[in-house]
Amino acid sequence: MDAPDGELIRTIAAGGPDGPRAEAELCRRFAPRIYLYGRRHLRDEDRARDLVQAVLLAVLQAARAGRVTEPDHADRFMLGTCRNLASRVRATEARHAGEGGLEALEAIESAPPWDGVDAGALIRCLGTLDERSRQIVMLTFQEDCETDVIAARLTMTSGNVRVTRHRAVASLRRCLDARPLQQERPQ
Amino acid sequence: MSACAHPIPWAILVDYWAGALTVPETDQVDEHLFGCGACTAASARVASVTETARQILPPALSRARLDSLRAGGLRVRENAFSPGERRTVGFDGGVDLLIHRLAGLDLAGADHVSLQVLVESTGERLFALDHVPFERDEGAVLIACQRHFASLPPDTRFEVTVHAATVTNVAYTILHQFPA
Repeated sequence: MDAPDGELIRTIAAGGPDGPRAEAELCRRFAPRIYLYGRRHLRDEDRARDLVQAVLLAVLQAARAGRVTEPDHADRFMLGTCRNLASRVRATEARHAGEGGLEALEAIESAPPWDGVDAGALIRCLGTLDERSRQIVMLTFQEDCETDVIAARLTMTSGNVRVTRHRAVASLRRCLDARPLQQERPQ
Repeated sequence: MSACAHPIPWAILVDYWAGALTVPETDQVDEHLFGCGACTAASARVASVTETARQILPPALSRARLDSLRAGGLRVRENAFSPGERRTVGFDGGVDLLIHRLAGLDLAGADHVSLQVLVESTGERLFALDHVPFERDEGAVLIACQRHFASLPPDTRFEVTVHAATVTNVAYTILHQFPA
């Protein structure tokens, strides 16, 4: 189903026989985006999965009730819902998954929109980086150090830290791609 | 998936996942990603690296870091190894993290310690680190072995080099058994 987002929202609101297919397509299209938002902003896989369910539930309920006022900007509605729920999750650690009744959600795989990256392979790829690049990757993603802190610790400029990090992550991605069992899941 | 007329550059996506963008810049990236399947796919390629990296502990840990992991609820089991020892260890259920305590080191005058990890059967070097945390009083280096190391070769040789007034090399061979 290649219909634009707005058409899907209108189909759902109409409540006709094509509604379930439109709901499923909307979920398929946005689940990876919501999941990535959750991983980035909540920094937790379980919370990201919960966020996918909660956001899709809220958006589908709104679409069914005709409450999506600008169907052609469904992406903005989705992001707004994401932001609201993520901030609520952060504040209360509440879990909304499983509040039921929408079959489209049952088919949604809220797993990462990538697979095949096993940590062992990444460890080997980290071993191919030069010492400084590896330190920057580890300080950033394992120690959660800010760029300025890393720059001070390694006596570099912040700009150099960022450039080295961009290159290091690209190099790791290429290294993982070169491994035969690594395959990205199509979006 | 349709192509993007203004794709987000790789460097910006790495900054985004590194938390190195300002709040308005982050919001801008979020807005673009929600409307763009192609850039979402590109973002997922970056995230697959960065978010996997977040799951990995550094190969060597300080005692203080280990204590904080324990305090956070991680179930840890320590195995002590003597210099030159070659032994099998199992990663049982009910354990989140194995610590290989590479003991018997004279670290009193150590300036720094480096670590190299090799596959015993092939000689492949998995990684080498110039400066790893060490426990001077314990005379030990603490190696973090996580469950996802199961995808690495099980026969590993840890070579520790102590840089003091003289340089000393000590090796330990650890044969891992992970549950199927």
